[in-house]
Amino acid sequence: MTRRVAITGLGLVSSQGQSPQAVFDAWCAGQSGIGLHTVGDEPHAMTVPYALCTDFDAAAVLGRSRLATMDRVSQLSTVASVSAWRDAGLDELPQVQRDLACTLWGTGGGGTQTTERSYRDLFVKGRARISPLTVVLGMSNAAASHIALQLGLGGECLTYSVACASSAVAVGEAFRRIRSGEADIALTGGAEAGLPFGMIKAWDSLQVTAPAGDQVEACCRPFHAERRGLVLGEGAAALVLEDWERATQRGARIYAEVVGYGGSCDHAHLTAPDVQGQLRALRQALHVGQLNASDVQYINAHGTATMEGDPVEVQALKALLGDHAAKVMISSTKSMHGHLLGAAGAIEIMATTLALHRRMVPPTAHLDQIDPACEGLDHVAVQGRESPGLKVALSNSFAFGGSNAVLALRSVDA
Amino acid sequence: MNDKTAYALSLVRQALARYTDTPSDAIELDTSLADLAVDSLTLAELLFELEDRLGTTISETESVPRLISDVVALIEPFIDDQEVKSVA
Repeated sequence: MTRRVAITGLGLVSSQGQSPQAVFDAWCAGQSGIGLHTVGDEPHAMTVPYALCTDFDAAAVLGRSRLATMDRVSQLSTVASVSAWRDAGLDELPQVQRDLACTLWGTGGGGTQTTERSYRDLFVKGRARISPLTVVLGMSNAAASHIALQLGLGGECLTYSVACASSAVAVGEAFRRIRSGEADIALTGGAEAGLPFGMIKAWDSLQVTAPAGDQVEACCRPFHAERRGLVLGEGAAALVLEDWERATQRGARIYAEVVGYGGSCDHAHLTAPDVQGQLRALRQALHVGQLNASDVQYINAHGTATMEGDPVEVQALKALLGDHAAKVMISSTKSMHGHLLGAAGAIEIMATTLALHRRMVPPTAHLDQIDPACEGLDHVAVQGRESPGLKVALSNSFAFGGSNAVLALRSVDA
Repeated sequence: MNDKTAYALSLVRQALARYTDTPSDAIELDTSLADLAVDSLTLAELLFELEDRLGTTISETESVPRLISDVVALIEPFIDDQEVKSVA
């Protein structure tokens, strides 16, 4: 069985707000959610550029009693998922049908704040005991479990931890289940909570993060000749994927169609990206979607703004697209929402979905000088671009460890 | 209610502020934990926090606390009379 897969619900918690449409508007205006934030408590603290969800109030949605049993990553995940479920118009779905819906979620670090707090209690404060909830708050699958608990979803509840491709893989796996008929409805996406001090130091040691510079909100500059690296971000993005026939029969609003998913492994290096590995995932996504390279009109790039990563992605895309490359729009919205690690794929698939839905391509903000090594595609720079004929788009996610995931999406009336 | 019980109740109310939206002055000895949406996991965390506050370890109980008075009874033996007097 091969069925069509509809995206019928979107939910978001981001540094720029919780309304997918309003945040998309901000992206199209080139507005950034990146600021300077202090992570940790003195003397274990560090001030870094970060896109944090400073206005997020989980208690307002979930109630205070739930929060004690939830790491921040679970709070972000659950709030975004409740929002997506409601957006899909599924609040009244009978339990018998909820029991068949699956939860497929991505996160890179899981409950990192809980883990660090326990270590701090033990090793810094010298406490003899730590919270009895440390295990259940910190476990990587806690977020998915909380989503399923909150929404009463009784199908498979799985967590994918594939570094920066985590939530793209989750969406891809959801696509496969709906397409094959294994499930009719999937709640999918991913989340990453703001990293604790120890992990910030670890990223700092990797020497891939951008300094604040003169304008912190503009310090993440993918494809720019003077880019200095990535900026970490926090948030959660949730999508409801649904069997197309089912969605149309119940009169659901369909944002876009997922038509293809491709995954691959570089098997070359733990951190260095690889053109051939990325190309395999890109080609697989087109193959599954029965698309030609010439069908592709927009690519939401992985585009982290590292010196090494951006040109490799452009090389892979040029190899895929050939002569058609110069006509294909490309942008990296990480310039505005930061790099959400395990949630990066989901928030960027959401950006791609809304681009198709609204026929408007969000830009790479601050891109006023393209690196010659990144030329060859049609960069949508600084401001969004109206694109009335937009029908097919890809969203790329390329992870440390060499795992690559590409989703192919199509507009509803294409 | 004697001074020690009242003090124990005040400690439970303080600790619960992090776990419930119910105002602390609405929490009485006969309030049920279920009405405060405090489940077994939250209760474990609450008792851990109270143990920390009192510098003690509460041994396993024969029955699971259901009411605020059950929690108060668990911690009362560990409250120092001097501490009660100092806040009285």
